[in-house]
Amino acid sequence: MGTLAKLKQNSWYGVGLLLVITVLCWVVFKILCPGTFGAPDQMLTYVQTAIIYAVGGCGLYFIVVMGLWDFSVGSILVLSCLLSIGFSQMFGYVGLIVAPILCGIVLGAANGLAYIKLRIPSLIVTVGLSLIYESLAVFASDWAGTRLSDSYKLFGSYPWNLIVALAAFLLCWFILRYTKLGTYVNAIGANEATAKNMGVDVDKYKFLAFVLCSMFVGIMSVLYIGYGTAQTPMTGMLSQSLNFKPLMGTFFGLAFKKYGRPVISIVIGEFIISMMFAGFVALGMPVTINNVITGATLLIIICITTKRVKGAVVK
Amino acid sequence: MDTKPLLHADKIDKSFGPTHAVKEVSLDFYPGEIHALIGENGSGKSTFTNMLTGIIPIGSGTFTLEGEQVAPRNQVDANHHGIAIVVQETGTLSGLTVAENMFLGDEDQFMHHGVKDTAAMNRRAQELLDSYGLGSIKATTVIDHYGFEERKLVEIVRSTYFDPKVLVVDETTTALSQSGRDKLFEVMRHVRELGHCVIFISHDMSEVLEMSDRISILRDGDYITTVEKKDVDEEQLKTLMVGRKMDDHYYRTDYPDYQSLPEGEVAIKAEHLKVPGQLDDVSICVHKGEIVGIGGLSECGMHEVGKALFGASYDREGTVTLSDGTEVNDINTAINHSIAYTSKDRDNESLLINDTIEDNITLPSMRDMGRFLSDKRLHAFAEKFAEAMSVKMVGVDQYVSALSGGNKQKVVLARWLGKGSEILILDSPTRGIDIKVKASIYSLLEKMRSEGKAVLIISEEIMELIGMCDRIYVMKDGKVNGELTRRPDLTEQDLIAKMV
Repeated sequence: MGTLAKLKQNSWYGVGLLLVITVLCWVVFKILCPGTFGAPDQMLTYVQTAIIYAVGGCGLYFIVVMGLWDFSVGSILVLSCLLSIGFSQMFGYVGLIVAPILCGIVLGAANGLAYIKLRIPSLIVTVGLSLIYESLAVFASDWAGTRLSDSYKLFGSYPWNLIVALAAFLLCWFILRYTKLGTYVNAIGANEATAKNMGVDVDKYKFLAFVLCSMFVGIMSVLYIGYGTAQTPMTGMLSQSLNFKPLMGTFFGLAFKKYGRPVISIVIGEFIISMMFAGFVALGMPVTINNVITGATLLIIICITTKRVKGAVVK
Repeated sequence: MDTKPLLHADKIDKSFGPTHAVKEVSLDFYPGEIHALIGENGSGKSTFTNMLTGIIPIGSGTFTLEGEQVAPRNQVDANHHGIAIVVQETGTLSGLTVAENMFLGDEDQFMHHGVKDTAAMNRRAQELLDSYGLGSIKATTVIDHYGFEERKLVEIVRSTYFDPKVLVVDETTTALSQSGRDKLFEVMRHVRELGHCVIFISHDMSEVLEMSDRISILRDGDYITTVEKKDVDEEQLKTLMVGRKMDDHYYRTDYPDYQSLPEGEVAIKAEHLKVPGQLDDVSICVHKGEIVGIGGLSECGMHEVGKALFGASYDREGTVTLSDGTEVNDINTAINHSIAYTSKDRDNESLLINDTIEDNITLPSMRDMGRFLSDKRLHAFAEKFAEAMSVKMVGVDQYVSALSGGNKQKVVLARWLGKGSEILILDSPTRGIDIKVKASIYSLLEKMRSEGKAVLIISEEIMELIGMCDRIYVMKDGKVNGELTRRPDLTEQDLIAKMV
């Protein structure tokens, strides 16, 4: 066996590869804009945004690894943020934390139930329900307002944002490694019929995955509202735009799943994306071009790291 | 033999829509026996054992194991009752580690207050692998890192480590190399020695006679009889399976004098084919009115030759040309120039498994049916060729997924028969197919040959190649290692000598 082949067998190979990409990304932007990119304090800012989306990415991983989609993440995020604002006014930090997480669990259960009972594709179910959640967010904003009180911004900055995010990452890692659900979501994604034949209650675990996904979005909203301090309701499917940043991290997690460390891959993946956004801003690029290049880079990274077989069926 | 059965099946019955797959079958299986279950494709063997192992629900009737009635809800539930199965196709799941695959659905033994003791599970899996002499497979490695054979061996460990009282081996041997088969047979003998029972399903009669103690025959869902191994030979078994005496000569019996015969026009010619890791400078040709075979060990590259000739091999170098000089570099060119191809992986590469017989048969011919398609015409077309191939079906609206392996293959052949293909590339045309369907496929190939069509058979069955082909290319390590011409004294040893 060659050295590279041996290296690839190592479970840390994927993480190593991602770190190399991270360093390369930093070096390229540092050379292009040495004064406005990549200083230590700026790096901390990139981490700050990356960990927020990585928490959502962890939640989405449970869904996407099964071959399903959840396009209600953005609308749940908005509604959770607004409830966080409202309940923080009533119950302080307890309301700020508990309300969005509960909101996530309830809406995740609604997603899961609708998907299992209606027996229609997850993409359609979650897009449909996201329209309802967007409308609920309008009522929530009428009740709670759209700004977080200055006295509840603890989770928007270090160290508390990092502590919450690390707790979420650890929880995700624990579930994937030390619970049946972690094994079963992978099994369902690999072959649902076989998983069923092995006694896996597929509907139950799909339902739980939806609950977990939205629960992580609830945790993400604690960080998100703490960092942004304000949230307006979004209607007409505008909240869909919030789905994609967490989803990017999930894609990294899936692409590097074969090396066995999806959570770390999600976090580093989000950091790379965050750094790239900042790099393009430092270069003075308009947001449109920024999005084009980030999207293209994501595709390139996934293409490089995923073994693509010519003629293979890809869905 | 123990007089009290270990497992008793009482009036087991199952229907799938209009298909009555198993008809009130009653059977006894005794402790310490390997009990073969044989029958044609569609005879109900797998349906019967799938009900026993919880893969599908029991229609009606009961299974009684050691005096206790059992009706497993799924495979793991069956395991808990002491019943296990090794299936024909891949039963392990990608993305999971070897250990996770081995204990999938049965993790409770490692759960403490809802938390899985992953380290203990990995340790136990590795101990089991080591005890089976499979120490090179690592329990903690994601199973995707291993090949088909190793994954199959993991399945065998998974199905047998708990010493099941009843082990079902369903057509598994065709998926294994000789060493894999030896390992499986060793496990089967071990189960018998423990005083338990193996239900062994196979189409290979010599294997059945070698391994089993008693043999039960099913035909069209009906139980026919059970015989002792010592009382029957292969021919008698075949007769019992099909319900009539089989013609001994279902292979070709003609031996043309190739010296004096004018050689037909070359129908398709491949020159210097190379595919990284699979083919290394392969050149072959097939003439019109000729059946050519390619044989070799499973991984010798022969299956890739079929794909290359059909324009379905990627990263291919070299040329494939037809008699009119047309180069075949893609599938559309191949189909437009009357080339047919059937893949070894029938369900995934040859059939639209979740579609109707009609759609499967008409698919490549639709392009010849004008701009607007007529339902009536498509239906009539499918019916005509399904009937020509004697597909056992309720109607052409029936889904292919409900057909047996042999009938699926008939649908694939009906498709190309309908297309009027002049060049047929058939990869493993009789894989997993009973002798009756085999015989009808062989006679169809002979007919095609006599009509001047060019036929290429890629097969791992040496006797099929010797029995049917005018010429045989033998491949080894991605290269053609020899070419043999049809003659009465050609033997298996002649081919094997060039394969290994």
